[in-house]
Amino acid sequence: MNKEIAIKVENLSKHFGKDENLVRVIENASFEINKGELIALIAPSGAGKTTLLMMIGCVEEPSAGNIWLGDKKVYENKWITKDTRRIRREKIGFIFQAHYLIPFLNVIDNVTLLPQSNGVSEEDAQAKAMELLEYFDIADKAKAMSSQLSGGQNQRVAIARALANNPEIILADEPTAALDGERSVSVIKMLKQIALEQNVAIIAVTHDERILPYCDKIMKIENKAIVFEESNKETLI
Amino acid sequence: MIHLARKDIEHTLGKFIVTAMGVGMLLGIVLIMMGVYRGMMVDAEVLLDDISADLWIVQEDTLGPFAEASRVHEDLKNIIFSINGIDKSEAITFQNIQLPGKEKAIRVVAVGYDVYGTINPISPKRLIKGRSLKTDHYEIVVTDKTGFQLHEEIKIGRNLYKVVGITHGTVSSGGDSLAYISLKDAQELQFLYSNKRIENDRNRGLTAVNSLMVNSIIATVKPGYNVDEIAQDIRKWQHKSVYTANEQKTILTKNLIEKASKQIGLFTAILVAVSTIIIALIIYTMTLEKMKEISIMKLMGLPNSLIIKMIVEETLVLGLFAFIFGNLFSHLIYEKFPKRVVLEMPDAMMLFGIVIIASVFASFIGVKKVITADPAAAIGG
Repeated sequence: MNKEIAIKVENLSKHFGKDENLVRVIENASFEINKGELIALIAPSGAGKTTLLMMIGCVEEPSAGNIWLGDKKVYENKWITKDTRRIRREKIGFIFQAHYLIPFLNVIDNVTLLPQSNGVSEEDAQAKAMELLEYFDIADKAKAMSSQLSGGQNQRVAIARALANNPEIILADEPTAALDGERSVSVIKMLKQIALEQNVAIIAVTHDERILPYCDKIMKIENKAIVFEESNKETLI
Repeated sequence: MIHLARKDIEHTLGKFIVTAMGVGMLLGIVLIMMGVYRGMMVDAEVLLDDISADLWIVQEDTLGPFAEASRVHEDLKNIIFSINGIDKSEAITFQNIQLPGKEKAIRVVAVGYDVYGTINPISPKRLIKGRSLKTDHYEIVVTDKTGFQLHEEIKIGRNLYKVVGITHGTVSSGGDSLAYISLKDAQELQFLYSNKRIENDRNRGLTAVNSLMVNSIIATVKPGYNVDEIAQDIRKWQHKSVYTANEQKTILTKNLIEKASKQIGLFTAILVAVSTIIIALIIYTMTLEKMKEISIMKLMGLPNSLIIKMIVEETLVLGLFAFIFGNLFSHLIYEKFPKRVVLEMPDAMMLFGIVIIASVFASFIGVKKVITADPAAAIGG
């Protein structure tokens, strides 16, 4: 089966500062991530995990290189389109350490907010949101506020929100950091399932080694370069 | 599309309403200040309107009884009356007196007029109890605000005055209550010295003082005659200062209460500025409280316009609620003020316009915060 490329990065570099204060965070990184893959991004603190995530997410401008999201080139030494927010809105879903649901919106409004801002009608957005909530087994909480849900339920709503705009890529920033071991595994299994079923590429920044066996590949930042390792499936729980 | 401002307001409705009430009370004070100014303008004209004189003849080179001391002879009214075109002419006095109230002295402006004359300064529409003065001595008509009752006796100077009438809404240009006494009583109170003083003056070689003085002669002009021309004639031949009704109004509203109104205007402007700053600070705080959510929304890719719309709409709704509360508040308390407060719709509408403009300006500070919010702040702890 031909795998579709979700993210392609070529000679990507990110530097901060100038002259003697110049800090090279990422240097000439090149890699491809396919749709349906769950990638764990690990590196020591300060190595540039978040910076890499933000560059792929069209938030942080790289210093040099090329980025493709799906078949669309979004960066070639500068942003190809000025409206990078539109790229995020249409192609990327985000999952955070905590659920970070909008506290003044109920569950269904949190999930439909992005599609509606993309021009999807309220009815269609709600229908899609209900599908996702049913998928995550929290449809009965559609009208609840996030303060009325448990941590696990909130995280599921947050994942449903990330999927609501049919993204090609999901960028997850330590999605299991706030969860205990059992729940962490449950969430990562869920992400793996989503990656396969929704044909989405997921990059999950993590420090949690327990979840690594569930990922397809492990992406590491070593000496400013990106290296990939196969995950050790033998340690699966 | 989800209405973010409505959802956010609904989520923190109690806090939002209490905040709006706080700002509303401030706006209510602004409305009261405007009302005090309007009240001063109304008060300034009450006496002039009730007397309805076309001409005020006063001591030469003075601005008349409301602005400066003025003394003219009572019999000047006869000379004025003889001028072609004059319909009625009467003498009138004004003086501040303290009436002995039950708890404390009550300051009033006493209007002295000729009980048998042709101009009665007591407007029938303001007389709510009793009658006008009928005799030359020891009768008084007072405003209801003084607290005196009909038939009550009030000691003024050496004499007892009987309350024969109660008026409502009669005030001097300074906002003090009015009392009406006969011209003879007024002249005695104002111009006649005590026996001891007269004796003392005689010993000093001073002759007795003529008490037949008044503060002003008021006159009405027959229809068809030019008021300004008659005024000019009197100025020329009688060597008196003469003011038409409009000139007298100008003296009262411009010369006398101008400073007070400027002060109130300045105070009002400061209050509006303070309200704007407070609304801005509230919106800034409300925006700061939502910075994490704003960063998340920006990171997710929501357009700035959607987030800015939420901030601006919340500010406008806060301004609107505050304006409504301010109106309610001002209408609840305005009668408790000792001076007349006149709340007028145009003032309220003007304040509404100011509040809306101020709210839009106040929202800029929140909008700026939204524009500069870093979406990357959503990532990490």
